[in-house]
Amino acid sequence: MGIPVGMISAIYSFAMTTGANRVVRGARIEHVCGDPGLGPEKDYAYGMRIVRKALEALTVPVSGPTLFDPHEGPAEEAVHAS
Amino acid sequence: MTEPLRVAHYLNQFFAGIGGEERAGVGVSTRPEPVGPGRALQAALGDAARIVGTVICGDNHVAEREEAAVAAIRRELEALRPAVLVAGPAFGSGRYGLACAAACRAAAALGIPAVTGMHPDNPAVEAHRAHVLIVPTAESATGMQAAVASLARFALRLARGEALGPAELEGYVAQGKRRVWDRGRPGYQRALDMLLDKLHGRPVVSEVPFHAPDRVTPAAPIADLGRATIAMVTTGGLVRKGNPDKQVAANATRYHRHSVKDLEALTPEGWEAYHAGYFNHIVNRNPNYILPLSFLRDLEGKGQIARVHEWMYALPGVSTPVAMARQLGHRIGEDLREARVDGVLLVAT
Repeated sequence: MGIPVGMISAIYSFAMTTGANRVVRGARIEHVCGDPGLGPEKDYAYGMRIVRKALEALTVPVSGPTLFDPHEGPAEEAVHAS
Repeated sequence: MTEPLRVAHYLNQFFAGIGGEERAGVGVSTRPEPVGPGRALQAALGDAARIVGTVICGDNHVAEREEAAVAAIRRELEALRPAVLVAGPAFGSGRYGLACAAACRAAAALGIPAVTGMHPDNPAVEAHRAHVLIVPTAESATGMQAAVASLARFALRLARGEALGPAELEGYVAQGKRRVWDRGRPGYQRALDMLLDKLHGRPVVSEVPFHAPDRVTPAAPIADLGRATIAMVTTGGLVRKGNPDKQVAANATRYHRHSVKDLEALTPEGWEAYHAGYFNHIVNRNPNYILPLSFLRDLEGKGQIARVHEWMYALPGVSTPVAMARQLGHRIGEDLREARVDGVLLVAT
């Protein structure tokens, strides 16, 4: 009985080839969960989108390395910076 | 006729016939003849070499008092003056493997060549293969005969002062050393031969060693995030501001655990990154980029996760060998399991 791990990484292809099972595509190496270039509100919303995707990954059964890409699909509701 | 080569043999308390776990604390002693597996080793060595002494020590004694045990083994070896030390074989036994490696290093410090044998998965292999000559053996003592034959072969060559060729040809555990070695044919020819072999479906052996990464069975998913405790781990080298815990910037040998119980988010006043593998300044302005506490608190407040685990784990992932990373990961995992955490977000820079 293991604990599911969502591995958030900008170099997600490495995470996949080295065997992480739930890989979440992050923004950049220097700012994995967000992007300061977007300005505070959009930065937070983008980070939240990545984190939500990582949590979603924890709820999905997988059989081997699987990519969860927050950049795909429709934009989620905007979340305001706290 | 020349004198037979002098061989010293190292055994633990079990193989020396002193006793099992209950006697594993026994100190260093020497017997002037082959003992236990030493008799098979003597037979394999033949007339060319003679076991002049068997150094014996309990595995726990070496594990618990390594420095004193190694010093004592060294004194015994000084008295025996062997041309080579053979330690074990230790097969799959972790503590015995470590003790054999320690004995080999005691010999090396005296300029005495040494060889030990153990199963490739013995934890001592990963820890000591760079410095200790290890021949692969079976997992258990049922493989004694083959192990002893192989040890004898290496012992004779070492005792005669022969240099060993590459691990892939000689059959010992690769030590990760690079030596200049003439393969006889230039690289482009060998590469083209490989390509031709591949095109014709013939077996191909690469000259570049490849270590296939572990495959971990995926954990079952979380049924209800609203009832889940989520923990955070980062390999981004997150430290408290000013690095008071003295985390290293690379090549981690430990992780650091910090409480986030009273924190709503990570602030640049309280936290920063100390990591030699990426540009840290952006994280230093907003550490939540590598440990998403602000986001998880937000979701916790909305009831979308039940709670954020009190402890977060941090280390710098850069330059950390896979074996060490595996060890640290196992320990963090055990900690999180004990704390009944349901899921983990791991941010890797």
